[in-house]
Amino acid sequence: MKGRPELYTSYAQDMAFLNTRPKRAWTGGLVILALVLPFAITDDLLQLLATGFVAAIGAIGLNIVTGYAGQVSLGHAFFLAIGAYTGAALSGSETGRVIGFGITSLPIWLLASGLVAAFFGVLVAPVAVRLRGLYLAIVTLGLVFLGEHVFREWTSLTGGPGVGRPAAVPELFGVRLDQDNAVFTAAQQLYLVMFVLLVIFGVLARNLVRSRVGRAFAAVRDRDLAASVIGVDLTKYKVLAFAVSSFYAGVAGALLFVMNGFFDPGSFSLLLSVQYIAMVLIGGAGTISGAIMGALFITLLPRITRELPAVLPFISGDATGAVTVFQVEAVLYGVLIIVFLIVEPRGLFGIWVRVRNYWRTWPFSY
Amino acid sequence: MTTTVVTRVKNRAANTPDQIAMRAKDFGIWQEVSWAQYWANVELVGDALLSLGLQPGDRVAIHSENRREWLYADLGVVAARGITVGLYPTNPASEVAYLLSHSGARILIAEDQEQVDKALLVLEDTPDLEWIVYLEPRGIKGRYDNPKLLWWDDFLAMGARYRDSHGDELAARMARTSPDDVMTLIYTSGTTGPPKGAMLTVANVEFAVHVLVEGGGFTSPPPSSTDVTLSYLPLCHVAERIFTTWFSAASGVQVHFAESIETVQANLREVQPTILFGVPRIWEKVLAGVTIGVSSASWLKRSVTRFWLRRAESIGTTLVRTGGEHTGSSRVTYALGWLFCFRALKARIGMRYVRYASSGAAPIAPDVLKFFMGIGVPMHEVYGMTENTAVATGNRPGRVKVGTVGEPQPGIELRIDEETGEILTRHGGTFAGYWRDPEATSRVVTDGWLHTGDVGEWVDGTHVKITDRMKDIIITAGGKNIAPSELENALKTSPYIKEAVVIGDQRAYLVALIGIEYETVGHWAQQRKLPYTTYRDLSEKPEVLELVQTIVTEVNAKFASVEQIKKFRMFPKELDHEDGELTATQKVKRSALGKMFDDLVESMYG
Repeated sequence: MKGRPELYTSYAQDMAFLNTRPKRAWTGGLVILALVLPFAITDDLLQLLATGFVAAIGAIGLNIVTGYAGQVSLGHAFFLAIGAYTGAALSGSETGRVIGFGITSLPIWLLASGLVAAFFGVLVAPVAVRLRGLYLAIVTLGLVFLGEHVFREWTSLTGGPGVGRPAAVPELFGVRLDQDNAVFTAAQQLYLVMFVLLVIFGVLARNLVRSRVGRAFAAVRDRDLAASVIGVDLTKYKVLAFAVSSFYAGVAGALLFVMNGFFDPGSFSLLLSVQYIAMVLIGGAGTISGAIMGALFITLLPRITRELPAVLPFISGDATGAVTVFQVEAVLYGVLIIVFLIVEPRGLFGIWVRVRNYWRTWPFSY
Repeated sequence: MTTTVVTRVKNRAANTPDQIAMRAKDFGIWQEVSWAQYWANVELVGDALLSLGLQPGDRVAIHSENRREWLYADLGVVAARGITVGLYPTNPASEVAYLLSHSGARILIAEDQEQVDKALLVLEDTPDLEWIVYLEPRGIKGRYDNPKLLWWDDFLAMGARYRDSHGDELAARMARTSPDDVMTLIYTSGTTGPPKGAMLTVANVEFAVHVLVEGGGFTSPPPSSTDVTLSYLPLCHVAERIFTTWFSAASGVQVHFAESIETVQANLREVQPTILFGVPRIWEKVLAGVTIGVSSASWLKRSVTRFWLRRAESIGTTLVRTGGEHTGSSRVTYALGWLFCFRALKARIGMRYVRYASSGAAPIAPDVLKFFMGIGVPMHEVYGMTENTAVATGNRPGRVKVGTVGEPQPGIELRIDEETGEILTRHGGTFAGYWRDPEATSRVVTDGWLHTGDVGEWVDGTHVKITDRMKDIIITAGGKNIAPSELENALKTSPYIKEAVVIGDQRAYLVALIGIEYETVGHWAQQRKLPYTTYRDLSEKPEVLELVQTIVTEVNAKFASVEQIKKFRMFPKELDHEDGELTATQKVKRSALGKMFDDLVESMYG
C-alpha cells in the first residue's frame, strides 16, 4: 500500500529485487554515475576501474560459495586460471608457440570460459559434500598448487612461466574493444562493457540468492545438519554453489587480463586466492554489493599507495630503499584484513548498513 | 428491508467486490480480504448457523482475539437474526461460565485450545451450550472427542451444504429483521459486581452508525474507503466494535488486525493507520516508549529530539489554547520540527498518516493529549458508554478543549442533573435494557433518560467535563469531595507509573497505591546499575521509592493541600485480570483492591 513500505501483502513484494524507495534511488544514482564517469576521468583510471569491475564478478562468485553457502574455498585462483586460459585459447590465434582457435566473439568465449570452469567446479564439489571447514580449505588449497604445476608445464597453452601469452581477444559485433575507434577509446569501451557485464552478473547473482536456492545456501551455511533436516538436499546445493561460483570465476578470469592484453601462469598463485578472500571479507561476506565494494577497494588500493611517496618522502616509489610502496601495500593488506575481521566483520557493507540504520532509526537509537 | 450492518456489507460486496475490506497477517504477509470474500464468509456463517437450527433471538458467543473470523461470525449471527455475545480473550474460566450461562448462549465460537479448555472446564454450568466451534484446530482436532466440538472449516462446510439443499433461506431470514431486534449483548466490565449484558438493537446500532460514522462524530471529516485502521482492542467492547466492524461496514474503511496486543507498536509501524482510536493506557504507553527511546538514544539524536520535543510542548500549549488550530508561528515551528524530528518520530510510532486520533473509554491526563497534539497527531477525547451505544460527546477538530470530553453529538439530548451533577443522555442509541435484569435497567433509564453514572459539568456552556465516576468520588473525613481520577491520571502521565489508585473515603487524608511500569523502571534501574530480580523486588528498592516520591511530590504541587497524597505504598505485584484486580478492559476494580491490599492501606493510616 502506498506510503507504507513495511506492509507486505505478498511474498513477491517482500523479496522484491529493489524493495525500498531509497534502494531504488541509490541504485539508479550509482548506475548513472558509472555511465557518466568514462567521459570525465583519464584512461588509466578507467582501465583500473574496469579491472575492478571484473574482479567484482569474481568476488561475487567467491561470495556465493563462501559468503552464502559457507564453503570456504581457497581455490578461486585455480578457477580464474581455467577461465583465463579457456578464453585466451579460444579467442587467440595460433602462433606456433601457443595454441589458439580464433573465435574472437566475446559472448562465445566468455560463456565457454564460464562453463569449463563450472565443469571443474562440479568435479571438485563432491569433496565439499564430504568435508567441512578447514579440511575443505586445505583441499581447495591443493587445487591451486595442482593448477600452478600444470600451467607451468603446459607451455603450448600458457606460454610458460616468465613468458606468458596474449589474453583473450575482446570483439563484440565486429568491433575490437581493445582498440581505439572513431567514437570511443579502448579504455572507455572496455570500461563500459565490463560495467554492463558486472551489472548483468550482479543482478543474476542477486536474483539467485534471494530465491529458494539462496535460502537453501544460507541454511547450509548456518548449519548443514539442520539444513538437511528441514529438507535441503546438501549434495545438490553444495554442488550447485561450487558450479555457480566457478562459473563466475571462469568469466572473471577470462576478462581479467583483457585490459593488459598479456598474462603469465605465475599470476594464479595462492596470493590471488587470498586477494579474493580479502575482497569478500573486506567488502562483507554474504552480500552482493559488499563483494563489489571489496573488489573495487582491493583493486584501487595499489593506486592509492603509489601516491604515498609524494606525501611521505621516506617511502620510496621503486623497488629500492628501506621502505618501498610494495612493502607498504603488503602490510596494509594484512592490516586491513585483521582490522576488518576484528572491528567490522560484516565489512564495508556492514559500515554502510550501520550508516543507513543510523538514519533509519532516527530519532531513536534502535 | 431494514438496513443493518449486514446489509451494508452486502451492498459493498455488490458495488465494490474487489476493494479491500481487511487485511490480517499470516506468516509475515498481510493477507487481503475483499468485500466479496467478506460477504461470502458472512453468508457461509449465516447458513451454517441456520443448519444448526439457530432461531431468531438465540445467542451466539464469540471468544477470540480480533481476527477476520470474529467479523464473519458476528455478522453471520446478525444475518441469521441471532444475538452476538463477545467474550474478552482474557476472561478466566469462572467469568466464561458466568457469561455463557447468563446469556444462555447456544453456540460458542472459540478461538483456540486455550479458550476451548475454559469452556470445557465449565460445561456443567452452561446447560444451554450446544456447540463449541473452534477456529484453530491445533491441539484440539484429533485429540479432543467431546461431541459438542466442531471445527470452523467443517462448520462452514455445513453452511455450504445447507445452502445447496435449502436455497437462499438466509436472505429470507434477513428480510424479516426488524429495527427492534437485539443485535448484540455487550457485557459491561463491572468494576462493581458481576458484568451486566447491555442489549443493543439494530436501531441502536444504526443510530450510532448514523451519528458517529456517517455524521463524523468520532472522525471528522467522516471516514471513507481510503482510510486505514488497526484493530487491536477487544472487539467485545463497544468502542472497538464501532471502530472496526461498524466503521468498515458503514464507510468501507480498510481494517487491519494486529497480531496481538503485544505487537501493537510494531503493527502500527507497518500499517500506519489514518484513523486511530486508543484507550488512555495505549497512549500512555506510546508516550513512555518515546521517553525511553529518547533517553537511550545517542548523544546527537538525543539532543536534537529533546530540543524538538520541547518545541512540541510549546506547540501543544498553543494548540490547547486555540482548540487545535495552528497559529502562524506555531505552524512555522511545526514545519521545521517536522523536517528534523516529528516526521520520523511519527513514522516510528506508526502515526505518520494519522488524521484523526481519539482517546476514550477511560479518563486521560491532559499532558498526554498535549504531547500528541504537539508532535502533530490530531488528538480528540471522546466520550460514550455501552448503554448509549457510545453516543454522547466528542471533541471536534478545531474546537478541542483539553480536559473536556467535547460537545454533545448533534441531534441528541444531553443534560447534567442539577442536584447530583450526573450526566444524562436521551437519544435513539439508548439501549434496550440489561439482559435478564429489568430491575437494573429501571435504575439507569427513567423517562428515556439514561443515567450515565458519570459526574460532569459544563465548560463555557458548550463542552462537557467529566469529574469522575459517581461512585468513585471520595468524600474525606473533612467532608471534601475529591475526584480521584484526576490525581491518578496526573500520576500515570509519568512514564514510570502504570497504576495509581487513590484512597481516602471517610479518612483524614488521601493515600495512594502505586504500581510501577516494569519495563521503563527496569530500564531506569539498569542505567543506574541497580540490580533487581522481580517486579516486587524492583518496586521495593529504596531508589525506586525515591523516584516515585519525586513524581508524587511533583503531582501534589498541582493540587490544593486537602487533595494531596500524603502517603503511598507500592503494589507488590503487577495487577492482572486473571487475579480479579482488573476488569477485562484493564480498569482497576477499586472495591476488590481495597480488600486485597487492606493491610497496605491500613499501614498508611496507622
